[in-house]
Amino acid sequence: MSLNLLAYALFFPAMLVLAVGVAQTCHRHGRPWMLRLFDGDAAFVDAVNSILLAGCYTVNLGYIALVMAGWEPITGIEQLLATLARRMAIIVLALAALHYQNIAVLLIWSRFKQHQATGKRAT
Amino acid sequence: MTNTFVLTYLIYLPIVFGLTLYVARTLFRNGRVFMLDIFKGKADIADATNRLFEVGFYLINIGFALRIMEVDGYWGENAYDTMQEVVETLAGKVGGFAIYLGVMLFINLFLFFRGRRKARQNGITINPVPVIPQPVH
Repeated sequence: MSLNLLAYALFFPAMLVLAVGVAQTCHRHGRPWMLRLFDGDAAFVDAVNSILLAGCYTVNLGYIALVMAGWEPITGIEQLLATLARRMAIIVLALAALHYQNIAVLLIWSRFKQHQATGKRAT
Repeated sequence: MTNTFVLTYLIYLPIVFGLTLYVARTLFRNGRVFMLDIFKGKADIADATNRLFEVGFYLINIGFALRIMEVDGYWGENAYDTMQEVVETLAGKVGGFAIYLGVMLFINLFLFFRGRRKARQNGITINPVPVIPQPVH
């Protein structure tokens, strides 16, 4: 078995667990925000939220699989660790970027909604 | 060693079918809420439309999955005979397909939202105005 295969075997499960964990955290803790955005319509919010969870899973896992190709031939254990770290960094940073983008969308949207509500009340 | 091409296809097909099934089921089980909104609570037409869209979703995505299945580019200097090549090719194909599927899911979600907004704009909504819950301390 080549070391590349071993690297893939280590990389994929680790990133899988990470991506699923992040997605489920977003799913669970995004719900109160969504309830605020959609005026407490729980049935609707749960529907949107679970569609978003599925989207999160497919895109993240797809990206993880996509990154998992064309690594340079790994010859030793030190190179294995270095390569793994570099490739894992790509995934972790991408997840971080998506995460902050999610938070930003929620914040901006709820600001906008608040703004609209106060504007309506004033007129 | 068995034929690595056949091995790749045999692993690829169940994965993409499973993925499509999962995404479509999630999307259209939850899409019912949108359809009921769009068709003003008429359950029969909402379910029918939902089902029609679901079948369309299956056709497009399974068609695309089959379209990109063939392993090519390995007929020249590359032999395509090691497990590493199989894993890398599969990862590329399945990963690309999963991202494509995610994009399709978000397009569908966008269309759901758009339909719901349009339905609310030009017509009387049957659903009562939802009550904003007070935060519980």
